[in-house]
Amino acid sequence: MSEQEEDLELQALQRELDGAFESTRPRRGFEDELWVRMQAARPATNRLRDAFAGFFEGIRAVPRVPMGAVAAVLVTALAIGVIVYGGSHGGGSATSSGTFEQSGAAPRAVDAGFGMLPSPVLGSAVSSGQISGGAPTGSEYLGPAQISWAGKASVAGGSVHVYRYREPSINTADQFASALGAVLRQRPQGYLGIYAASKYTLRIRGTVGSPPSSPAYMIDASTSMPPIDAAGASPADYASIFLAQHSLEPQWPYTVTTDKSGDPIKVVYERQFDVTGYGLAYLVNSNGDRYGLEVDLRADQLASVTGPLPLSLDTADYRIVSPDEAIRPTLSSQGTNGSVLPPPAVQLTHVELVYVLVPAGDHSFYEPAYLFSGSLQVSGKTYVKHVLAPAVDPSQRTP
Amino acid sequence: MDVRSSSRARTYHEPAVLADRPPFEDLYRDFLGRIYAYVRAQVGTPADAEDITAQVFMNAYQAYGRFEARNTTPAAWLFRIARNATLDHFRAHGRRERLRRTIEHQPVAEADPAGQAEERIQYRALLARVAQLPERQRDAISLRHSGLSFDEVGKLMGCSEDAAKMLYHRALKAVREAVQKEGV
Repeated sequence: MSEQEEDLELQALQRELDGAFESTRPRRGFEDELWVRMQAARPATNRLRDAFAGFFEGIRAVPRVPMGAVAAVLVTALAIGVIVYGGSHGGGSATSSGTFEQSGAAPRAVDAGFGMLPSPVLGSAVSSGQISGGAPTGSEYLGPAQISWAGKASVAGGSVHVYRYREPSINTADQFASALGAVLRQRPQGYLGIYAASKYTLRIRGTVGSPPSSPAYMIDASTSMPPIDAAGASPADYASIFLAQHSLEPQWPYTVTTDKSGDPIKVVYERQFDVTGYGLAYLVNSNGDRYGLEVDLRADQLASVTGPLPLSLDTADYRIVSPDEAIRPTLSSQGTNGSVLPPPAVQLTHVELVYVLVPAGDHSFYEPAYLFSGSLQVSGKTYVKHVLAPAVDPSQRTP
Repeated sequence: MDVRSSSRARTYHEPAVLADRPPFEDLYRDFLGRIYAYVRAQVGTPADAEDITAQVFMNAYQAYGRFEARNTTPAAWLFRIARNATLDHFRAHGRRERLRRTIEHQPVAEADPAGQAEERIQYRALLARVAQLPERQRDAISLRHSGLSFDEVGKLMGCSEDAAKMLYHRALKAVREAVQKEGV
């Protein structure tokens, strides 16, 4: 055997050893079991001390709000009477509360905050907001428009959670795949891994910068995937059964919508974030469309599943501005677009607090934003226009 | 020959992160799989690997207050504890017992929930060969393929980086010969 052949053989063996070590993981449940054992084994005095520390950290974590702002919030709340939430809730059936981690643990509060936050990139047309499609009612209007804001602010500012996650590693992906019983096949560019199980292929990737997309897993059913055994069940039921069978049910709040208009049928678990004092805020993409976990079905047969990779989230509170303040830069940056005909006027009348993903390298964020909407008439037809604007106070995020 | 041209990126090698000691739970979640794999490659049975891994993290949890981030990486620190725990295990049970258990738990005999996935069986067979190497060779392979740099492997094993590379290379050749001989 030549030296070159020997080198190639050893390199192949190294790759196999890499695969062997990376695919060797403890049985499912061991991680949480051991963690619980470790916690239980700690001296009672330490546990008590930590409990007190957590209590006082919790107090420190409460944002300091100037008294003037408190008064303004109270006045606004009294004037409005009841905080109004807008937006349609799709064809949803169930809203389920859950926690944000696969293990079921609540997000950890970070006392010191995350520092200056990166600003969401919501579009190129306007510096701090994007005119986009996606309508709660009526058809989408995608063209330019002269925007004005005449709605009532249903959110008066204050502080809300910002969520942060660490970019998942190959180990994270391998553990997720291993828990599903899938075996590593390859690691092509753009993926943390592609894995094979007996009835499907699993792909796992990290955060995508543009358009922003959370770390995700994608299951593509093979031809040997058996039908889901539930006679008379709805597509949402089929989706729920498959997810339950594979322990993939979302651990976050969601609303289920079903789109039967095409093939495959799409069942979407629209992700929400619980906002203290507000309610549930949807996660939307840069077009303002809600998203989360999607199960595609053909009759009673699973076609594919695309969902966010379960990751633990840290939280920190950040001050948000009112919708009036948030939309102001968008309104002030409007100019003539150079065309002979002026764009149609759109009066935004409704606003909803949402969350958007802001990729930022090793750590990315789910940040609050406002989704404004209003309708306009073009050639006798009603259209809806959406504008997305960052909600975090500009002084707490990078320009 | 360049024994291994690239080492995988590891979260906790970044000095900026080291300066601000991460919560122990982060360390635990990030390293549990790697520590388990390191131990599992040497002890041959999942039950032993779980016991030793549990001991590693129990010890690390208790000692984390004394961990000096500026002196070592969390990876090197944890693998040092894992290495000691594994050596303690062998001292307690003896090498003969270890070999017996390794042989008894050949991969073909294990049930595979994913339908006897061929690749997984092959990987286990490969790790069984690693487990049968002489102690230092086994250690060099296991530490290196757990993501440590040769510098870290050398420090843990009490030798230079170059010596660690040579040891690893010899171990690699030994695994290849075993594979060729036994047709894994």
